[in-house]
Amino acid sequence: MISPETFHVVSTELVVGAFSVSGLSFLFCLLLHLDVLKKEDWKPLFDNVAHFTLAFGLAATPFAVLSGLSSAPGDGLNSPILVNKMFLSMTGMGFAIGVFISRWRLSQRVWATSKTATVQCITGLAACGSMLLTASAGGTFLRGESLIDVLSLPYETVLLFPTAISGIGLAIGIGLLVLGWLRMNAASSVH
Amino acid sequence: MNFNQRVYTVLFLSILLIGSAYGAAEPGGNGDATRDMQCGGACHGDAALNETSLATLTLSSPSTVYAGIPTTLTLTATNLSLSSTGVVGFFLLTDTTGHSDTPQDAGWEILSDSNGGSANYVEQTLSSGQAETSVSWVVRSSNEGFTPFYAAIHHGGSSKPFFAVTSTGYDVEAKEIPENLPRLAADFIPQSTRILDVPTVLTLQTEFTESVQVQWKVEGGAVMSAQVNTSGDNLWSATLPAALQPATLQWRAVLQGEGPDQTTPWFTLTAEEAGWEIEEFAVYLQAFSLLFLIAGAVLALQSRLTPLEVSSKYDQTDLLPLSLDADPAIESVTEGFSEESETAPLPAGGLPNGWNEDQWKWYGHDYLAGKYGGGQE
Repeated sequence: MISPETFHVVSTELVVGAFSVSGLSFLFCLLLHLDVLKKEDWKPLFDNVAHFTLAFGLAATPFAVLSGLSSAPGDGLNSPILVNKMFLSMTGMGFAIGVFISRWRLSQRVWATSKTATVQCITGLAACGSMLLTASAGGTFLRGESLIDVLSLPYETVLLFPTAISGIGLAIGIGLLVLGWLRMNAASSVH
Repeated sequence: MNFNQRVYTVLFLSILLIGSAYGAAEPGGNGDATRDMQCGGACHGDAALNETSLATLTLSSPSTVYAGIPTTLTLTATNLSLSSTGVVGFFLLTDTTGHSDTPQDAGWEILSDSNGGSANYVEQTLSSGQAETSVSWVVRSSNEGFTPFYAAIHHGGSSKPFFAVTSTGYDVEAKEIPENLPRLAADFIPQSTRILDVPTVLTLQTEFTESVQVQWKVEGGAVMSAQVNTSGDNLWSATLPAALQPATLQWRAVLQGEGPDQTTPWFTLTAEEAGWEIEEFAVYLQAFSLLFLIAGAVLALQSRLTPLEVSSKYDQTDLLPLSLDADPAIESVTEGFSEESETAPLPAGGLPNGWNEDQWKWYGHDYLAGKYGGGQE
């Protein structure tokens, strides 16, 4: 058996690596679909890489979150950095799930218009950014320094909503998820 | 890819490879933890990049060490030449194989280290020009016998990481405890942290002890005595004054009984601000709220922006060829088609009442199937 600390390092490296490649591929997708890069045959390549690595990173994320909680020193969430890590990783997961389901249910139609392509790419980049920020917070928590310390991000400050607001947000989120899913299914249903 | 592009690619990859050697080091340290000697190389990225540190490492311990009784191992490092950060890490090891080489692996328990934790690897940040320092560990053996201890050091330098380990082991013999030796209980674990602004009550469980004195000191200060009360057989409590700022103090107990007096090692007690607390349910609820809200928003947005492909069972244009004229298959389908072959056969009595031939041509099948005008008569 390996310790939670080692397992957390392994799963975190998988998540960060996968999301980094995914983010880079989404950037290329954006440039290709906005015709900044004019390489038509690159589109399916970066489309596949971006979504495959996103799915892989998404699959590894719960392991990273859970092992991170069990390997953190002390009991539970005893540091604002840990709480912000939790929020950032869940935000990244939210973006990634949205991107992945959109690509899955809408297939190539996510690239049908420049609007949908832009939303898909920017959301994928947001997922990548959130995960990299999570990793950076982890570095700050563990070693007191991180590559993006130059940005002076307020890791020590926690923005915690009242429980009621979070509950309402959760209900709205589930509602939007169901509506989006139904609408996407409706696109392929028989009338 | 032409020649120039290949050259640029090779140069770019070379720069990345060279850069990784320097980027992999951790100049800010790795933090106190239980680490084997392998970390002395791995924590600096690649062990092959390490230079040999010129530091001199010397281990020392009390002359008599008993199994089950805490004792102090002190490491003195001299001739230090560190990086600009001044960060240096020290290991206490029991072999030099690079794995399973911590004191815990050899049956020794680390009760406290000089940083207030209980790790075999501790870091210090020395001031510029400081060439000497010492660290100590309070350890306790569960077995009698000899154990070789090694010390290792790693630190940065002008451009490369440095590492060194003592070449020979420092043998410590854990002897059998005399029967009536006053001592701390075998399962005693010293408290390592306390909260600011609150007096600390130390609880000591002892064996073969008739009286206890507790002494404490802060760094550079005089040795003071704490008030000790007994609350039962071999159970003692001592009160240490509250700390007003984050700092460490050290304390020890002098135990008296029938056997020879015993003085415990100095245990380190670190004062910290009260732990940061938050309502965990609210955090988890908000985290899942963020997850669902964002995923739902992305889905709703994409489903709204994406042009929907509406299909109908009545719309079978996709079954048709793109050009009717160009596709001979249509010709084969329509070939031999005759109005007679599609017209339903007349019933025995001829056309039903009120029907003409044209109506029968189009609706005759329905009449025979009973769907029109009452069906077959």
